[in-house]
Amino acid sequence: MKISFTLNKQAVTIDVEPMKRLLDVLREDFNLLGAKEACGEGECGACTVLLNGEPVTSCILNAAHADGSEIETVEGISQTELGKLIIDCFDETNAVQCGFCFPGFFISSYHYIKTDGEKDLNKIKTALSGNICRCTGYEKIFESVMLACERAN
Amino acid sequence: MKCVKKFDAIPKLDGSWKFIDDYSYDDMLHGQLLYSTCHHGYIKKINFPANYNLSEFTMVSPKDITGDNIVPEPVCDQPFMVDKEVMHFGQVIMGIAHPNRKLLLKFIKETKIEYEELPAITDIKECLDNEENHFGKETIIDHRTKKEPKGEWIHHHNVYYTPHQEQAYLEPQGVISVYDPKANSMFVLISAQCPFFVKSGVEAIMGDAVSEVIIESPEGIGGAFGGKEDFPSLFAGISSLLSYKSGKPVKMILERVDDIQITTKRHPARVELDTWTDPITKKIKRCRIDYRIDAGAYQTLSPVVLARGVLHSISGYSVLDTFIRGRLFKSNTPSNGAFRGFGVPQALAAMEAHIDRIAADLNINPYEFRKINLFRIGDEFPTTQKIVEEHLSDCLERVIQKSDYHKKVIEFAEWNKTHKDKKGIGIAIGYHGGGYTGNGEKVLDSEVKVIIDKEAQVKIFVANTDMGQGAHTTLAQMFFEAIEHPREKCWVQLPNTSKTPNSGPTVASRTIYIIGNLLRKFAFQIKDELKFKNLEEYVKTHQNEFPKEFHKKFVPDKSVIFDEDTNVGIAYKDYSWAACVTEILFRADTYKIDLKKNWNVMDVGKVVNEKIAMGQAEGGITQGLAYGLSEFFYKPGFGRANGFTGYTLPTSLDLPEMNIEFIHTDSEIAKGLGEIPMDFPAPSVRNAFHNATGVFVDEYPMIPERLFKALEENK
Repeated sequence: MKISFTLNKQAVTIDVEPMKRLLDVLREDFNLLGAKEACGEGECGACTVLLNGEPVTSCILNAAHADGSEIETVEGISQTELGKLIIDCFDETNAVQCGFCFPGFFISSYHYIKTDGEKDLNKIKTALSGNICRCTGYEKIFESVMLACERAN
Repeated sequence: MKCVKKFDAIPKLDGSWKFIDDYSYDDMLHGQLLYSTCHHGYIKKINFPANYNLSEFTMVSPKDITGDNIVPEPVCDQPFMVDKEVMHFGQVIMGIAHPNRKLLLKFIKETKIEYEELPAITDIKECLDNEENHFGKETIIDHRTKKEPKGEWIHHHNVYYTPHQEQAYLEPQGVISVYDPKANSMFVLISAQCPFFVKSGVEAIMGDAVSEVIIESPEGIGGAFGGKEDFPSLFAGISSLLSYKSGKPVKMILERVDDIQITTKRHPARVELDTWTDPITKKIKRCRIDYRIDAGAYQTLSPVVLARGVLHSISGYSVLDTFIRGRLFKSNTPSNGAFRGFGVPQALAAMEAHIDRIAADLNINPYEFRKINLFRIGDEFPTTQKIVEEHLSDCLERVIQKSDYHKKVIEFAEWNKTHKDKKGIGIAIGYHGGGYTGNGEKVLDSEVKVIIDKEAQVKIFVANTDMGQGAHTTLAQMFFEAIEHPREKCWVQLPNTSKTPNSGPTVASRTIYIIGNLLRKFAFQIKDELKFKNLEEYVKTHQNEFPKEFHKKFVPDKSVIFDEDTNVGIAYKDYSWAACVTEILFRADTYKIDLKKNWNVMDVGKVVNEKIAMGQAEGGITQGLAYGLSEFFYKPGFGRANGFTGYTLPTSLDLPEMNIEFIHTDSEIAKGLGEIPMDFPAPSVRNAFHNATGVFVDEYPMIPERLFKALEENK
């Protein structure tokens, strides 16, 4: 099946099995290795990307879902102004540990700041509750996102 | 106490940092494990599905092993692949490789194995309650006095259980083996904690078939927590055999469901406690501990976990007359292995709950009771090791003060009178010995290497991996701060066993404690020897001396003498200490515990990088709280939990407001920090539940079903 979509602001077309997972399309066909597979069942958020501006777990979406849509991955978002601001905040708080879940956290944080951005701990906790981190205990992640909300406004 | 930023944070955030699955080689095959789905029995037949071209697959079984079919471990009893008898669910039967990973997974799923089944033990209590079901050797600490217990002393007897716990590192186990026929060498890139352990594993399975084995770490290791200590030896052994047989690079990444079902877990435990307490002085006068852990089907490294558990099983209390007996029990479940805490969380789960039980019975506040019985300077551990500092007591006092414990006990009791939901507050203490137990560090004989080049770039070579704990940032910081050199000119190199000396495994809270303090000393020594004030200036004016290579070995303190047969002597030179208080709200309608607030005070000695240390503490405490509260395999041994959907990890919405403070940070040395945060939080939740409801729960995790049962039984 031929599918066309916008990937990190660039129009792309690819011939792919319709049932191939979006995560595999990104990693194998576009060599975008930022999204990670940790659980393979949409539970942990390590494979999060933006589909038409909304965070989705790419391990449980099929390639066909991408047809005609706009996909943004960590590789694209990290180059934006807001993306860079968020990265600086995570860096300053030493929030990152093993880093395997972080591209996912980064995208969920970016989405929250872009669509709401209020420096409100409870809202941030809810916005990030689809992403699992086993290393940090989340405290430094909250701190980073609070800081990013403050700076983005 | 500077907060140097992590060197790898930005590439980890923008997705450019490479983890094992992000590497690939030309003409690479994908490997997977075919494992048993029977708990115990003999394999009668393996039926591969039809409609596949078998010649496209590379398969390895024990007959392909060119070396030995035994994984090198403290006890060498586990085969790489089933030789005759299947001993547990998830035991590796074959390694299979194919160019197409998806097709390979489908092929394995469709492969059916016929067994002659034998009786099996898969239930934790069936395993641990049976007196006869152990491996034989006991670990005993005998600190008995010959005095008989006095009649007025009050005897408390109780049994405590703790379940398996899954490490749940976010990155599943992964390895790439690359056999080079020209050099007859095996190169292994692996997400593992201990490159030299993996080297021994690959050398064992390959035997003389290859002349050199090199193990290297990828840029990123996506978490480990003990789960990538010993399993990688078996895993890399099989991927290497596949690469050797096929002549091609083989990448093996476990699916999450497989990872959860076949890899090592925290040992389930049964701890039986008998104490006798003087009702007048409230001193515990006599203690008997029967500490049992389920090793799984093989012993592997379990004796080491057992020893550490036994050594910490008295918790922080001074009891003159003590006898501790530790044993390993057998079950038909995968061998249990290392997990942050290494036997100590199980030990404290029992003793810290027991203390509250006695306190309740003697009608004394749990804080007061702890205070009366806590170690004092001059007291002895049951091993006869003298207590030389009262920092545990300092941790307890500080956490009580910070949490406003006394006021809350009264407030909550009042609030609970008029509310269906109940508030509770609980205490727990803990400690953890740093580094290998007893003479272990002498045996390890750790060595580090530093190369300073003509541009004054410092390269540090250690075998210790950075699996997210920030070790490579902190180790470099300890060196460049001591030698007074710019941060951007001092880097820890990625471990590679052909370039890196063996500075020991990345385990036992030893990386900063042993290797970090060694690097710091080493930096001072180099500075003294070369007599410079500024390294850059020195290198500029002495160009002919560089590049220069320096080596240093860890020399253990001579006073550390430990008899491993009798468990007498100094088990650990330095201990980290901690105390915590947790506040909960018990929901009467849903039987759910909400964690509200949690205070922790810890003495881990010098804190090198406060933010990294704080992150470690927060992460460990989270794992500790979840161990007591929610993490659970519903069917141990079979199927266990199907991935992260069934195994409930805490999310950002499940945690309390956390407050952590490090004390006695003016110490000269950085002590162990990795494990202690995991050890002590869980019992504080159990004790808080008792404070809220008056009911004790003797088994983790405190899931609603269990709380319901406990409350019904106590009606």
